[in-house]
Amino acid sequence: MATESFTKPVENSVAKVNDEVAVGEDLEFQRKWWRFENAAWVIFTLIIVLDVSGLFGRGPLAKAQRRTADGTIDVKYERIERTDSPSIMTIQFGPSAIQDGKIHLYISNSLVKALGTQRVIPAPQDSLIGEGGLTYTFSASKPPASVDLALQPAGPGLFDFTIGVVGADRVHARVVVVP
Amino acid sequence: MSTIIHAVFGYLFLLLIVRLLSRRPGGQLTLFEFVIVFLIGGLIILSTVGKDRSITNCATAILTVGLMHWLVSSIKGRFPRFGAVVDGTPLTLLKNGEWQLEVMKGMQIDREDVMAAARTKGVSSIYDVSYAILERNGAISIIKNDK
Repeated sequence: MATESFTKPVENSVAKVNDEVAVGEDLEFQRKWWRFENAAWVIFTLIIVLDVSGLFGRGPLAKAQRRTADGTIDVKYERIERTDSPSIMTIQFGPSAIQDGKIHLYISNSLVKALGTQRVIPAPQDSLIGEGGLTYTFSASKPPASVDLALQPAGPGLFDFTIGVVGADRVHARVVVVP
Repeated sequence: MSTIIHAVFGYLFLLLIVRLLSRRPGGQLTLFEFVIVFLIGGLIILSTVGKDRSITNCATAILTVGLMHWLVSSIKGRFPRFGAVVDGTPLTLLKNGEWQLEVMKGMQIDREDVMAAARTKGVSSIYDVSYAILERNGAISIIKNDK
């Protein structure tokens, strides 16, 4: 069975230069494109500068530090994190954080799940679940003493977290995780 | 799902970057430009597949990129204006013996690049060239002067 194919007569539709050579040039479009190109390179440069400054994480603007009013803990963390990129949150304890040679540190679930706590350094003696989070117990002598949390957020978003020594003031802060 | 989103974003971002980089005179990529292209591709792969290097995930990413390219080609065929955005338009560098300085400056092309293209056509003098046209693929077409 014969099949009918699609056909179309040839048209002299390609724009000519000097009415002589069919080029299909569109200089007006090209001028607009050059303006777009210039704007794009300016925006790209701006993005690089913002990245170096830490607006997208891993820079001076991303670093943050919070301290409780009673001085039990001082938390150094990154307020802007990147998805799947590791970072360290450091919790330094003041003298009042150590009770009977132990520190009981509470961290909210958002630190464990959304912000992806991978490791606690040093490993806690004990861990207790409840109150929408975890309470770790560490043996401690005298300050300075600190604990590191190795974070690796699984996905982008805006996440609040709470951290503090049990029975003392707590730090409430927010972290932006960029894609 | 995230692989598909990353692949779509990677394709569109690569399309923009490649389009913003000027067309190479003569359509010839230098060795360094080859390395740049592979470097950009490699960086996009890292974000696209992430830690999931399973065949399923990689196949999904490849299918998404293939589908995106098919889609862009289809739209180009239907809307010539979109084709101009993606591939650009041919541009006249030399018109009736006159250099088109605005185009040459905008496309960062030297007279030597035009002469190099002319020599490949056996033309030894610029006076023998009537038109020089920068094509969408970066090649320079030479139309000889008949007079």
